[in-house]
Formats: sequence, structure tokens, C-alpha cells
Amino acid sequence: MIIIPTDNFMDLYKLLPQTNCGKCEPKTCMAFALELLKGNVKIADCPPLSEDPKYKDKLAQLQELIGAEEGKKKELRITIDDELCDGCGICVTICPVNARYCYSTLSGKVPDYPPDEHQLFVIKDGKCELLALDQCRRITAQGRERECRVCETYCPREALEISYDIIDE
Amino acid sequence: MKFKKIVCTGCSLLCDDIIIEENDNGRIEQIIGACVRGKERFKSIKSQNRILTPLIRENDDLKEAAWDEALKKTLQMIEDSSNPILYGFSTTSCEAQAEGIRLARAIDGFIDSNSTICQGITLEKSKETGVTMTTLTEIINKGDIILLWGFNPIESIPRLLNKILFSRGKFRMTGREIKTLIVIDPVETASYKIMGPRDIPLLIKPASDLELIQALKKICKEEMEIPSEGIAGIDKMDLERLVANLVDSENISILIGQGMLQPSDDGDPLKELLELIEILNTVNEKGRVSIIMGGGHFNMTGFDQTALSLTGKNHSLQFKDSTLIDTEDNIITKIEKNDFDLSIIVGTDPISHLPLEISKKLVTKPMILIDNKKNSTYYVADVVLPTAITGVETDGTAFRIDEVPIKLTKLYDPPNDLPSDEELLIKINNKIKEE
Repeated sequence: MIIIPTDNFMDLYKLLPQTNCGKCEPKTCMAFALELLKGNVKIADCPPLSEDPKYKDKLAQLQELIGAEEGKKKELRITIDDELCDGCGICVTICPVNARYCYSTLSGKVPDYPPDEHQLFVIKDGKCELLALDQCRRITAQGRERECRVCETYCPREALEISYDIIDE
Repeated sequence: MKFKKIVCTGCSLLCDDIIIEENDNGRIEQIIGACVRGKERFKSIKSQNRILTPLIRENDDLKEAAWDEALKKTLQMIEDSSNPILYGFSTTSCEAQAEGIRLARAIDGFIDSNSTICQGITLEKSKETGVTMTTLTEIINKGDIILLWGFNPIESIPRLLNKILFSRGKFRMTGREIKTLIVIDPVETASYKIMGPRDIPLLIKPASDLELIQALKKICKEEMEIPSEGIAGIDKMDLERLVANLVDSENISILIGQGMLQPSDDGDPLKELLELIEILNTVNEKGRVSIIMGGGHFNMTGFDQTALSLTGKNHSLQFKDSTLIDTEDNIITKIEKNDFDLSIIVGTDPISHLPLEISKKLVTKPMILIDNKKNSTYYVADVVLPTAITGVETDGTAFRIDEVPIKLTKLYDPPNDLPSDEELLIKINNKIKEE
């Protein structure tokens, strides 16, 4: 069986003890899952997982899921395929961060131009353009809101992809 | 650097939130907010396919001609004709459409727009049952259910679902989360890719819309139970959810697409659908069901509205002795019967979009083309009169997909001082009056 390295930290979170025991560095299981995905911590950094025999199955699954990519530093990327994108602007409207500063309606408020510094996406010349990745919920938000994938989910052309890529050092 | 706000005439949505960024030379630097269709519309002003001078056909070749000469030839052709047809008018302003109808009246011609083979049919049939119309802004602010029936706006009107489904409205603050999308289509189109947890994607068996609508009519009147094996390839649970959504929601909008326009041998699904809507409106005590007609050309509904206000009929207008007379014909049957001796085409490309048999017949008679870019019809026309691009190089009025009139803005002067469709038709009308 081929295991595809996951981009979704909720998959990892489900395999953690979910007790928030506070024995690891980020203190909570949710934060540990994200750090694990980014490669900042290793599976062994979670003491209950390796010590308590009741988590044996979960540990094996987790090791299988992360595989050889354990410990390699990863970074959030949002890639937009210009060939597929048709500039419908659904990502601009649906992004919860954008919604705080602008939303598009036929007679209401429209996205500002030049864009606000918090705005993530803008449609230029019929194609979507990423402006400020550092404002993305996956970086700025806390808790479950961090697992935000609305732009990727609702892109009708499947042109937008969220991924964690290994950074070369 | 200058920013200009403009209405986009790329499709029937007529987005009014497009921003043009100009460089210091007054040329388009960037187009903000427009989709690919809109971008191409703005970029087309510098297209290589633009027609910049009038042309007259001489021995199988189009030769450049002066305006006087081309107009003289046009008038000669009109004078020689006793049964002209005028066709097109969906991609021009309402003012030009009104002039087109006046021209048809003056020369005792037959005038038709693209809506005769498109949503004009729905408008005409909806008069028999009485159907409530809605506006896009109402769907944004109050919509609950959006039902796409035989309609795939992701491909044809890219920003439509962005606006009506994803936008956060006044009474629907959470936008996408609170609205339910239902799609009924025989093929899994791109519109199926934006389904959320509460949405209902329905794949219907091809050509069985009629069966589903007739069953829904009975179910809504409580004359029939939902059969356990389902209807038209849709299973029972999905049908239960569909019926519950239709009879128990406040604001339901049905977007009727081109897939519904073709009558089948057993009956007319469109007529039945409009009757179903009428039944739903009596059964539904909470709210109402309204329709939007999904046409693509930016001012196709405009022709229907202009013709209705000037003559009382929305398409297929036959004039005789300067008065409107009754006719069963439309542009297709007219050409099929060879019942014409001259065609005047305004802003459309019948050679590529009408069936081959029909366009073969169209080519046999003299043809005048009024358009701004080369297309298949350009290569067979006898006289070509170039005009400015409406909505970019001329202003005017156009009707949005939901029958709301929108004022178009002029951004640039046309090249070679090209006249607008309206100016050109006024000029022809005046010359005919003089004679």
C-alpha cells in the first residue's frame, strides 16, 4: 500500500491522544499536530503516545502516515493554476479573512482597489492572484479555525491547492 | 495611474464592480475583478480581428470601400428587396435595438433576435401561467434555495454563483453556509464541484425532465407518494429532500438554463416546469418561488423588453405596410422556407451558430453584416459595416439577466471614428425616410 503524505493536520490530530496533557512543547494536541505537519517536532516528542501501550495502534498509523518526511521542515503554500482559473472570484468572496475587509455584491460593497493589506486574493486580468499568504487563517487563526480550506473546497475549477511543501535549506 | 469603474459587457451578468487601471498613456494596464470572459471583451478593442473600414464584395473578394459608397450600396440592396430579414441585436444597446425595429418597420421586414431560439421562449410561455420574477440582489440578500435546472453558470456566466450564492447578503450574513444549492442536470458539470454539506446534487437521466416535473406536480398536490424506486434516476431520499426544500422554504429561485428549452415528443418540459412553479406557489405557505432566465448574451433580454415596449411582442416581429402582423414564423422557419430575399445581421454570427442546413440557405441570398469583429459570417457577407464596441466605446442601456436595466459607460473613443450601432442605424433610417 502506498501512503500519501498528508497535507491535512486534522488527519494527524485524530491519531494523537487528544488529552491535552501538556507534556509536549506546544502543550495542546491540536498545536502539536500542526507542528508535526510542519516538521518542527517529531512523533517521539509526544510522551504518552510512545509510552502508553493503549496508543500502540495510533502510533503505528501515525508513523506510516508521516513516513520518511518526519522532521523535515515544511511551509504552507497556496498554488493557483493559471490554466484552470477562470477568474470567477469565488475565492475572493468565500475567504473568511477577505470577508472582514471586503465582500462582493451586485449593488453593495465591492473589494477595494488598491487592495487592503489583509486581503488574500484579488482577480487581475481574469486570473486569481495571491496577495498576502501570511494573512491566511492557517497561519493567523487559533484552534479549529486553523483547519480552513474553503477556498480550495469551493474552487469550481479545482485550480487552487493548499499544500505543505518541504523547504530546502 | 488612473482607476476607472466600468460595467462589464462580457456576459448577461453586467458586473458593475469592474475597475480598469490605466497607465499614463491612457491605455488599459490591468483589469481588476473581471473574469476571463470580461477580460477578453475589454481586450477585444485592440483585437487583430477588428473591422476598421466598410467592405463591399466584388468577385468573391471583400474590398475596402468608403462610407458613402458602402451606405449607398446598402440602401440599394434594401430598396431592391421586398422581404428582408433582420437578425441579431443581442450584443448591442437597447437604443440600437429600438432603431433596428424602426428600420424593420420602415422597410416592411421581419426582425428577430437571438432570444427567439433562447430565453425568449421562456418569457413568452411564462405569460400563460404567471410567474414571479426575482432580481439577483434579492437572491443575495434574501435567497434560501438556488435551483439550477439544466444550467451551468460556472462555464457560461462565471461570476454568477460567486455573487448570488457566495456573497454575504443583508439578511443572509453567512452567505454560502445558509444558502442551499440544488443542481439538476444529466451530466456532472463544473457546477457540481461547489457542493456543500446541505446541497443536493441531482443527476437526472437524459431527456427525462418531463417525467420528473410531472411526478413533482402530483407529489406537491399530494396526489401521489414518492415511489420507492425513485423517479428518472434520482433516488427516493434525494427526492424527499428536494420536495421538502421546495415546499418549505422562504425564498426559492429557479434558474432555468438552455437545457430546458427543447420540447420533447411527449410534451413541453418548460411549460410543465412553469406550471409546477405555479403549484408550488400555492402549496408553499412560507414564501414564494421565482425564476431567472439564464441567457448568455449581454443584452438579449434587452431586445425582448424593447420589442415589448415598442410593439407588444417580444420576438419574431413581422411588419407589413408599416404595421405589425401576426406570424407563426421565427428566424429559423423563415430561412428554412426561403421566405426572404435579403438578410441584415447585427452583432451576431449565424453562420457558426445556426444549423448547417439553415446557414447554407442563408448564404444563398444577399447579406449585410453590421459588426465590430471578423467572424464566420464576415467571410460570406456582401456588405460589411463596422461599428464601435458597445459598452466600451459607446454608452447605452442594457438589461441584465434578471431584467434590470443597467447604464453602460463609454471608456474610449472608437478607432477610425467608427459609428455606434445606434448611430449607423439612425443614419440608414434617415436616408430611407428621405427617399
